[in-house]
Amino acid sequence: MSAQVAVVGSGLASFTAYQTLRRALEPGEIAVFGTDADPAAAWRVRAAAIRQRQMRSESDGHCLATTFPGLAFGSVLRRRSLRPLLESGLDRYHPTVEEFLSHVERLRERSRWDESLVLRRVERVRAVDGGFDLEGDRFRHVLLAPGHPGLNVPEELRDDPRVVHSYEPHDYAPTVTVVGAGLAAATEWLNALAAGAEVVSVRRRETVRRPLNVPRHYFSRRGLAGFHRLPPRERVERLRTLTAPSYPAGDHWDEPLERPKAEGRFRVEASLNGSAQVICATGFLRGYRHDPLLARLVAEHDLETAEEWLVLDPDSTVPGLSDASRTLALAGAPAQWAFPAADTLAGARYVAHRFLRRIESCRTR
Amino acid sequence: MSYTLRGRAESRLAALLPVLLAACVLAGVLHRWWPVELVALMAAVGLVLDLEVWHRLLPYQPAWATVPLAAVELGVLMAIVYGFGLHAPLWPAVALFGAGWLSSVVLAQAGLPLLRLGYAEDGGELGRLGGVAAVAVVLALAGSAATYVVRLPPVVNLSTGVHQGPLVITQREVLQGEPGAVVRGGIVVAHDDVEIKNVTVVGGANGITVDGIRGTVLDGVTVQGARLDGIHVRDAGVIVRNCTVDMLGNRLGQGIDISFNMGKGMSMVEGCTIVGGMVGITTHSSMTEIVRNRVSRTTGQAISVAEMSMGSAMDNQIRGALGVGLNCDDQSMCMFAHNTVVGTRPDRASGDPTRRGIGVLASFYSEADLWENRLAANPVPAGAVTSSTLKTTSRTDW
Repeated sequence: MSAQVAVVGSGLASFTAYQTLRRALEPGEIAVFGTDADPAAAWRVRAAAIRQRQMRSESDGHCLATTFPGLAFGSVLRRRSLRPLLESGLDRYHPTVEEFLSHVERLRERSRWDESLVLRRVERVRAVDGGFDLEGDRFRHVLLAPGHPGLNVPEELRDDPRVVHSYEPHDYAPTVTVVGAGLAAATEWLNALAAGAEVVSVRRRETVRRPLNVPRHYFSRRGLAGFHRLPPRERVERLRTLTAPSYPAGDHWDEPLERPKAEGRFRVEASLNGSAQVICATGFLRGYRHDPLLARLVAEHDLETAEEWLVLDPDSTVPGLSDASRTLALAGAPAQWAFPAADTLAGARYVAHRFLRRIESCRTR
Repeated sequence: MSYTLRGRAESRLAALLPVLLAACVLAGVLHRWWPVELVALMAAVGLVLDLEVWHRLLPYQPAWATVPLAAVELGVLMAIVYGFGLHAPLWPAVALFGAGWLSSVVLAQAGLPLLRLGYAEDGGELGRLGGVAAVAVVLALAGSAATYVVRLPPVVNLSTGVHQGPLVITQREVLQGEPGAVVRGGIVVAHDDVEIKNVTVVGGANGITVDGIRGTVLDGVTVQGARLDGIHVRDAGVIVRNCTVDMLGNRLGQGIDISFNMGKGMSMVEGCTIVGGMVGITTHSSMTEIVRNRVSRTTGQAISVAEMSMGSAMDNQIRGALGVGLNCDDQSMCMFAHNTVVGTRPDRASGDPTRRGIGVLASFYSEADLWENRLAANPVPAGAVTSSTLKTTSRTDW
């Protein structure tokens, strides 16, 4: 294989990184290992399962290498209206799922993603002299974007026949309990109510309302500089706070709940009751231990960890395995140690920019 | 966008760079320094607000916030401009600020993110580019300042004593009179950008003649015994301030005559004292502001805005004029506000009914707007003749 740069994973984080890499590299110089040619395949299923119509992200929630032009700009050209741009200026523009998926589709074609794609699952990455071995293929620079390790269903509900995860395709029973307090849970309350169900929300904590996954200043060096300076224990605590489930404030979330609340069709309870259906809007399994590739990487190279997180440098590279001649970096949810919102498109872009910087500064690339 | 402090400063300076370059070009075209001064001030105000206010107040700055922030910065900027008397015209200054603001919005939202990968996540920091932008701004301002200093006209000191004239000035210079410096026989200004300070001129056909040039400043000059006009300006832009013109005994001459200079922009006569002569201050086909002067004992009119002039006379004190105090004549448009016209005397010898001691007169298709003038002890406080109008208005601007 002639490529010097490999990306493991073929989801949106990988795809976003690929767009940045393409600014400096040709498709033949990048190998993307994954099991699905469509970078939005996994995300598409989940969005469809919760009937998501709008993105939580804003205009810059896209896969391009630079924030401009954002999706609002493209929308202005398509709709021939300045409204998306004005909404973007007010932080109120949220692209539709359809717009986002078309954007991915266009970009896939334009960036020649398929030319770099190797349809193969990589289960082991080993550091070797001057690079990394990916089950027989050697690369100097490797970005791991394995995606979420699986859906999280609380232990006590795993054998309950009424249970379905929110990210699995499902319909709604006449009585539904939704477990969780994040965006998926809030979406499911509205979905189930719209389907005529009686809804019970079960959650361990009060809901956090904020526009994006984490406070906005954690998307830039302004918030990250302090975060990176935290000692490990405090950083773990901060990460737990920052990554707690949340969903945006706004009337379009609250108003549809008011009448059902008054009618008793929507209520909050502390534990499960006798609902016919239990929807677990409890997100994904968290932590490197749930991902076989990462768990093996940590074990074989004795990498530093902090509870469920793999310890990374601020540029999301793996300390000890990255130096002037080679780079191993993480993208997506496993990169939260470097960037708390790593599981967003902005997070993927953050990692990609730094990964490219490392590659460009490597004289022997 | 969540700016770091460094990111704010670097983004601001980078955005200011094209505006500063445009201001330098504009300064060259206009032969005025206010565009560069204004941009330097914009940089200073912006950086101080960044350091002291915006960074602390705004951990995250949404795009819409640039509008109120710009309004505050514009307010502070204009307060300084007017507070410190920088001579920047209002609307061009606002337009330059607007261009700067627009440039910063376009660059922050589109230009800089395209130019630098990771612009947003780096909090607006530009790396080497930021340093280059800062150095470029400093160099441009330093270069402008150096050019300003180098281009300052040489100062020529006129020593105490009497110097035989007429003195003809044929180069850019500041003619600085030492106490008691007198030129006998008049001064002729024959070059652009000449400033004459604290010089007494005695005699001459005209005391000081300024003809066909720009940028003359007469500051603190004294003129006595001129045979024709005290200060005689033709087709030239001048600023005359704090002068004294003694025309007593000269029945036909004008104290200050500024004429036929419409194409040279606004001229100004401010803070002068004129005694005697036919007309104290007169303009013909001119745009001149006549402000805070004292004119007395004239034999024609004290102040006359005439012959298709557009001018204002404000806060002047006129005493003991023969015939007419303030005059707006011959298709002129005049604004007379806050003037005091006292004791105008009727010119019975002339037999002219328009000279029967009129405080304010509009004649021959002229329009005079009046506001809060104090007219006392004039046989006729105000009058309009030959298709002219006098109108009371509170609008004292043009």
